[in-house]
Amino acid sequence: MLSKKSVIHRAIKGLIGPLVLVIATSLTATFSLMGCKFQPGFGYNKGYSPEQPVPFSHEMHVGKHGMQCQYCHNQVERSKHANIPSLQTCMNCHLQVRTDSPYIQKMREAYDNGKSMEWTRVHMLPDHVMFNHSAHLNKGVNCQTCHGPIETMAKVYQYSDLSMGWCINCHRQPENKAPLNCTTCHH
Amino acid sequence: MSEIHNDEIKKTNRPVIEHDNTYWLSLENYNQDPEMKKLAETEFMSSPIREGEKQEPWARREFLKLMGASLALSTASCVRRPVQKIVPYSKQPEEVTLGIPNFYTSTYFDGQEAIGVLVKTREGRPIKIEGLESHPLSEGGTSVRAQASILSLYDPDRLTSPKKNLFNEKRTNKDTIGVKWEEADKAIVEELKKGDVVLLTGNYSSPATKALVSDFCEGFKAKHVSWEPFSYEDIKKGQELSYKNPVVPFYRFDKAKMIVSIDADFLGTWLMPTVFTKQFSKTRKDFAKMSRMVAFDSQYSLTGANSDIRVRIKPSQQLQVALALINELVFVQNKSIYAGNAKLKSWIGSFGNLAEGLLLEPALLKEVAKDLWENKGESLVVAGGMQAHSETAVALQLAVNFLNSILENDGKTVLSKPTILSVQSSHSEMASLIEDMKNKKVKTLVIHRSNPAYALTEKSEFLAALKNVNLVVYIGDRMDEMGQQAHYVLPENHALETWGDVEAVSGVYSIQQPTIRPMYDTQSAQLTLMNWAFQAKVGPKRIQEFETFYDYLRNYWRTELYPKLGKGGTFDAFWDGVLQAGFVGKLEDSSSARSYNVEVLETIKSLPKATGYEVVLYSTLQIGDGTGSNIAWLHELPDPITKIVWDNYVLVSLATANKLKAKEGQIIEVETNSVKLELPLHIQPGLHDDVMAVAVGYGRTHGGQVTNGIGKNAYNLAALDKKGILGTGSVAKVTVTEKKYELAQTQTHHSMEGRQIVIEATLKEYQNKKDHLIHKHPIWSYWSGHQYNGHKWGMAIDLNSCTGCSACMVACQSENNIPVVGKKYVIQGREMHWIRIDRYFTGTPENAETVFQPVMCQHCDNAPCETVCPVLATVHSSEGLNEMVYNRCVGTRYCSNNCPYKVRRFNWFHWTKKIEKPLHMALNPDVTVRMRGVMEKCTFCVQRIKEGKNKAKLEKRPLKDGEIKTACQTSCPTNAIVFGDMNDADSQVSKLFKNERTYALLEELNAKPAVHYQAKVRNTADLKGGGGHGHGEAAHGEGHNS
Repeated sequence: MLSKKSVIHRAIKGLIGPLVLVIATSLTATFSLMGCKFQPGFGYNKGYSPEQPVPFSHEMHVGKHGMQCQYCHNQVERSKHANIPSLQTCMNCHLQVRTDSPYIQKMREAYDNGKSMEWTRVHMLPDHVMFNHSAHLNKGVNCQTCHGPIETMAKVYQYSDLSMGWCINCHRQPENKAPLNCTTCHH
Repeated sequence: MSEIHNDEIKKTNRPVIEHDNTYWLSLENYNQDPEMKKLAETEFMSSPIREGEKQEPWARREFLKLMGASLALSTASCVRRPVQKIVPYSKQPEEVTLGIPNFYTSTYFDGQEAIGVLVKTREGRPIKIEGLESHPLSEGGTSVRAQASILSLYDPDRLTSPKKNLFNEKRTNKDTIGVKWEEADKAIVEELKKGDVVLLTGNYSSPATKALVSDFCEGFKAKHVSWEPFSYEDIKKGQELSYKNPVVPFYRFDKAKMIVSIDADFLGTWLMPTVFTKQFSKTRKDFAKMSRMVAFDSQYSLTGANSDIRVRIKPSQQLQVALALINELVFVQNKSIYAGNAKLKSWIGSFGNLAEGLLLEPALLKEVAKDLWENKGESLVVAGGMQAHSETAVALQLAVNFLNSILENDGKTVLSKPTILSVQSSHSEMASLIEDMKNKKVKTLVIHRSNPAYALTEKSEFLAALKNVNLVVYIGDRMDEMGQQAHYVLPENHALETWGDVEAVSGVYSIQQPTIRPMYDTQSAQLTLMNWAFQAKVGPKRIQEFETFYDYLRNYWRTELYPKLGKGGTFDAFWDGVLQAGFVGKLEDSSSARSYNVEVLETIKSLPKATGYEVVLYSTLQIGDGTGSNIAWLHELPDPITKIVWDNYVLVSLATANKLKAKEGQIIEVETNSVKLELPLHIQPGLHDDVMAVAVGYGRTHGGQVTNGIGKNAYNLAALDKKGILGTGSVAKVTVTEKKYELAQTQTHHSMEGRQIVIEATLKEYQNKKDHLIHKHPIWSYWSGHQYNGHKWGMAIDLNSCTGCSACMVACQSENNIPVVGKKYVIQGREMHWIRIDRYFTGTPENAETVFQPVMCQHCDNAPCETVCPVLATVHSSEGLNEMVYNRCVGTRYCSNNCPYKVRRFNWFHWTKKIEKPLHMALNPDVTVRMRGVMEKCTFCVQRIKEGKNKAKLEKRPLKDGEIKTACQTSCPTNAIVFGDMNDADSQVSKLFKNERTYALLEELNAKPAVHYQAKVRNTADLKGGGGHGHGEAAHGEGHNS
């Protein structure tokens, strides 16, 4: 038998959990809505644009020089990942081009020492989402459909909110003939 | 709706549960124990206990620690958390595509058998072992230990650098310090130069390593001794005496129509079980020429469980059985050339009545002998293994060889060419080594792949003799029992980090490739030996000239194997071909028959006197000899027969337990050869009343944090002398103590409420009434059912092929990141395996037979779990999959309550959060790691389905049947599991679904499972159990309106 005291104790204990949760959620929501540049939606990161160790410009490489996306992201048609190119790929050109830039020198130094660059990830999905680049590309989806006008971005930012609703919106269009099973993305 | 219709619905909805005890899971189940019934009604056995509430030794075992992905919620700022970094390659390796696995051919060698494997690597780290289908021996089959070897690579208890033990004078205490390779090498070479060197190793199957060892021995004038706990020297000795040909023959079970096994557990642990399982299963698929297997079993082995006729014996009867068969065949039925031989007749007559005391009907003996003779040239008699290491071990081999010779099996199912080359371990050599050490004839002892400090009985005085050796060097992967006794402990590479080759059966050469760069400051044992020879400048040129073992190996292949096996072309092309295929060479089909030296038979003078209880030492297929047991998957895997995890125990029969007045789990003391061992008792149906069976391989003291202290070390019950080891058959004194112990058994969970789940028939019944084998239930439904326009996935499982080897369970665990929960939570019914193997006993507790049934999520069309989930976390897919969405699940567990098959597993705790580094590297990145409070279950390996479909799409072609294989399917050595598209009428699975043996579990519930089973067929005259629904119409309750 439970004593009276322990019943009360349990009741209080049971209340504390939800209470803390409610307060925490409301505080978080308030802060994030007030202080954030990127909107809308709590938890999404639309507009996120972190500083990178080297200010690589897609505007310069893609927009101005007209390089193909696949020149650097060369595994994107085969793999689920749109790979960040190895330093070697950068060095293909930059052993000759703009060698006076301090950023290129920084990369050159890392390259010569067998090191790599530490980029900050822009597009991030939760661990339980299994997204596959190759499946979308081979279906004829453009990079820009999800990544926006990447060729104009001097500094990459997250264009879409990458929420599940945003994914599903596209998958639901009958003309896309895309699967809507849960295990399409979650397994 | 008419009244009749209403009645019908009521009856269909509420079928009367038939409680029959034809098939039973445990003795409590058999006796309809009310306690057991109450337990079965509780879903998870108990109310939640908080993690670590009561800390017990094994609960503290923190084998589960995952990288702490900090999932702190972002608060009050724009900085996104967590900030993840991406570090690309500096120079991209050509063969690596992120997200796409690479497969490398390799070979798994566990000291006895060699299994051809494909190692799946992702971004340079091995994550899964797959079978290599083209390999001539294993043909794609794998074993539990091969599957689990991936975890031993990432074992946190591995040594990371060389160590030196500084002993006190009497070597009773020590300090361990780190040492540099160069220093260690220098000191060791100094000692090696002084001579009297012995190299003690385990079994080697690598031809290059054997060459290297002989080079080393030549250089340092060293002696090479092979020792491992499991020795087959009785077979070699028997072959030598019988045929003057001391080999371990290769057996062809696939060519045998009549197999008799006397304690040789060839499906579980004897010699090459995976290879033999593959061979055996081939003889069971075609019912027109189905083989028959008779097992004489002194322990309940996997072979006994899969036999058509199983006879329980005790070890002292093994020789008697063989002689009784000779007597029956040659002198009663007057077969073979020895039929009139007076000399032999008087010899066999001197034993008196050979059938006396055997728990075997005389008619059965006659039938077995008759079957053997009728299939002569296509029969096979085998004996041996741990259970037969008694004083009659060699005599038993002589008798068995005689049987094979008169049955004309020699050269057909028993081959003297090819032979099994992988087992060299010799107990008698070990005994003389100990003698030499005692007499101070050994100055330096180098040990590799052998752990006598743990696995050799204490009475052998090995450890005492070791103190007379000036320098002990141990090359191993951890500071284990042997490492504790050595001056230097030199860490070696894991098999997945090093080059090697394997010739387990002569003529078939497999390659072992490294699949990851050595993780620590380790090197291969072979390189260590090479370095010593180089520094001392001794031995042939080839051991000194090469810088790595890879160069030595390549040179060996170039000079020794390429001239023999290369078919023109350059060596480089030959070598690349070998790496691609994984092997070279082929199995020879038959050898010439040898003449049997019949005089040796008469050296068998008497049968052992049987008095009282006899000890049977046996090994389990999951733990093996115990030397590589620091793998949580293996301890958590239920034993195929007892379904007990995390322990060893004494198996006794029900009658004996009653006689001893001992209950399940009571601790009893077994005393034999003046050694006492206290172990809990487990009542095992189908055991001889005089048998006390104990598994070896447990009771490690320095094996690692997972395995230390699990069970007791039963090797100590054995005795060693110059003739070999006496492991079994010694008479035991048994004392029952008052102490109780709780064994964690999974078999009593997931009770199927006595409904008939497994269907079994005799071969005759099957052939006579093929169409009536399965009872079809009238099914009525409100629902029109789902429409599947594209694929519809289904799985067929052949109960007739399944041997219960459990490779699928470990493969599933490896593929799907399934956590280990430990003994405490298994007791509470919280084990996490997505696929389980239900083991049903049939018949009486005295003569229980076994049926195995793998059960995983049945992916029902009308899934009961889907309708009760309040948050739609489990839903139906357009391809018939029952999907589990972890991120939606809130943990109500309604689905599990409503699942008639009890296949859903709940994460009571955040198991994976506790995975210790670097074990997390073994996780499959394609499968979500589940967290606390989430339900999970078999997904039909949906990640593989997606991968297969995507691959076909990228190549712009339709998906081929058999292209997608689930993890359980690829691991199965008997091809019992087939997965495919049911909407494709030509697919293998569709064809199997039309087979007359096919049925679904609990069809009457109309859940419409996508998994179908095929009934088991036993090649016997009558069944103990009486079959499933098809037999005995009286069994039907009123719930069926047929």
